[in-house]
Amino acid sequence: MTRTITRRFLLVSAAVVSTTIGAGSMTTVNAAETIKLGIVAPMSGPNARYGGFSMHGAELAVKDINDAGGINGMKIELFNADSQGTPVEGVSATRRLIDQDEVSFIIGDVSSSVTLAMQPVAEDAEVLLLNAASSNPKITYQAGVGGFKWTYRNYPTDENRALVVAKYAAEQRGFTKFAVLSVDSDYGRSAVTFTKKYLPDFKGEILSEDYYKEGEVDFRSVLAKIRDNGAQAIIMYGLADTTPIIARQILELGLAGKVTLIGNGEFNTEKTIKAAPKAMEGAIEAAAWLPQYDSPASKAFVEKFTAAYNEAPNNHAYVHWDTVNLLAQAIKEAGSADKEAVREALSKIKYKSPVGDVTFDDHNQARLPMILLQIENGKPSIKGAYTAEIQYPAN
Amino acid sequence: MFSTLLEQVVNGIVTGSVYAIVAVGMTMIFGVLRAINFAHGEYYMLGTFGAWFATDYLGLSYEASIVVGVLSTVVVAYVVGQLVMRRMVGAPAESGVLATLGVALILQNTVIFVFGGGYKFFSGGYIEPVSILGFTLAEQRIIILVVCLLVFVGLELMVTYSRLGMAMRAVSQNVECCGVVGIDVPQVVLRTFVLGAALAALSGVLTAPVNVSVYGGMGELITFKTLPIIIMGGLGNVRGTFVAAMILGIAESLVATYIGLQYRDTVGFATLILMLMWRPHGLFSTQARF
Repeated sequence: MTRTITRRFLLVSAAVVSTTIGAGSMTTVNAAETIKLGIVAPMSGPNARYGGFSMHGAELAVKDINDAGGINGMKIELFNADSQGTPVEGVSATRRLIDQDEVSFIIGDVSSSVTLAMQPVAEDAEVLLLNAASSNPKITYQAGVGGFKWTYRNYPTDENRALVVAKYAAEQRGFTKFAVLSVDSDYGRSAVTFTKKYLPDFKGEILSEDYYKEGEVDFRSVLAKIRDNGAQAIIMYGLADTTPIIARQILELGLAGKVTLIGNGEFNTEKTIKAAPKAMEGAIEAAAWLPQYDSPASKAFVEKFTAAYNEAPNNHAYVHWDTVNLLAQAIKEAGSADKEAVREALSKIKYKSPVGDVTFDDHNQARLPMILLQIENGKPSIKGAYTAEIQYPAN
Repeated sequence: MFSTLLEQVVNGIVTGSVYAIVAVGMTMIFGVLRAINFAHGEYYMLGTFGAWFATDYLGLSYEASIVVGVLSTVVVAYVVGQLVMRRMVGAPAESGVLATLGVALILQNTVIFVFGGGYKFFSGGYIEPVSILGFTLAEQRIIILVVCLLVFVGLELMVTYSRLGMAMRAVSQNVECCGVVGIDVPQVVLRTFVLGAALAALSGVLTAPVNVSVYGGMGELITFKTLPIIIMGGLGNVRGTFVAAMILGIAESLVATYIGLQYRDTVGFATLILMLMWRPHGLFSTQARF
């Protein structure tokens, strides 16, 4: 009963959203001279905020490229499809972009579960899927020499993240007792799997392990359990929108200052910290990027984005903006918008991103650093950027 | 060990109170209309959005925002009641399902369209922790508990003594006879519906400070948590709804503590299935009675 209804809810809202968006992106550019780029992102549902930032980031990059005369004279035409953050809708969105909008390049999705479902679709259609924001290692374990020839990822993985966070928490902060409270998804679970792989190296142990569903609002039971088992830190690979709720309930249970959040989930935004400053103090987060990152290109992006949309960009805005620019350079180096040529160019590219030089390994995974930060006096403070070469399992 | 158990039971009762205030409206609407209101969670969402708008845009205090949230929902519910709900008297069951699902979609997407799909941050309320029985609880949760008790005592008095309450009971027992003795059935339906929606909105506003996030899709989850409660309580049964809401709240809390948070959302329907196997007509009776 509920299943049917939920699905109907989703279908109808998808129809409503896609019609509106479809109508909005209609342009009169001549098809022969344009590069069709599709963005799959959660434009509605619990992760809609991520989708909004992703789209804004991509739009900003496309506008700049087109205003500067395009790539070798070709303009980029942007298409958007809503994944609602669910694999089912993500696959439909991808098919819609491929079959109806006839795009050659797709950037998407934010959620790892969705990206994993999109990979075979892009592979079948031989469309270049360039992921900008999913961190599950499996995505590129099974790409390049691992299988999917058309998947590339310009985003660091959970493996890198888990290692960096665990190492810092153990070595710099001296934590040994951990509790897990992560989102129940491919992202949350894989990050914890990799944390477990590395934690014994730092003499850390996990005392309890819980996963929450998207939309969960009551964490009191789990937090009470964590209070009683005496964990020093909560390993949280969660959703940005849930972090303030958890922080507030940490405060409510009198745990603020006694247990530290470590992991990822936009711990560093003003909104999250404001929800419960005492609970967020000392929190450790590893992010692919954050607005405070100190490089001229990064600062310039923050300024431009803020001027365009009246709000500071988040990580998703940045990675989508950066990935559009990366794709543009690949097309430029390929000399044409031919998919195969662009793919070849991408494999060999040396791209200068605001966080450092980007190259791809034989699994089509970009070598990128993770930025580590700690909340100090209510403000994020950057502790360094760490790169790790991924050790792929032998297959 | 025992104190953890006690704490979790109290947690469950607080969660149950939230469910109870929402579910009682839904069950009363079922009583007079014989239709499940699938848009019920949307009124919870509307109330929360009204209050969020009042504190964030108008700069009102939390107390004032409760009034704004509930009143704005009452206005919307009145319009929906006039246009949709009162026409459902005597209509076949499937038209009720379609109509309320349609209303749910319209309300939800209108809110997303106007305010955007992202999460909003609710800043009002009393979130300072207080210590009772050896553990801490936000003040807001105590308020929720007290309001829940007041609501149920109030409803009990209303359906027993007031004219509207008696009319509601009459309509839920026999619509035809009500027509014969001159009770304005559509009017009773409309009032019951507005009252039910207002209670859902109240529940939303009261929970907003502890749930922090406000977004367009938040009502859906509430509708589906409420559904097993009103079936368990016996459709149309106010007291049964209260008990069922408490059972579900406590069961969820214990499952989250001793089995795992990821199983929490399965509790509602699992409890429902177990209960239906044991008592197929609901916990109390088949009779819809207030």
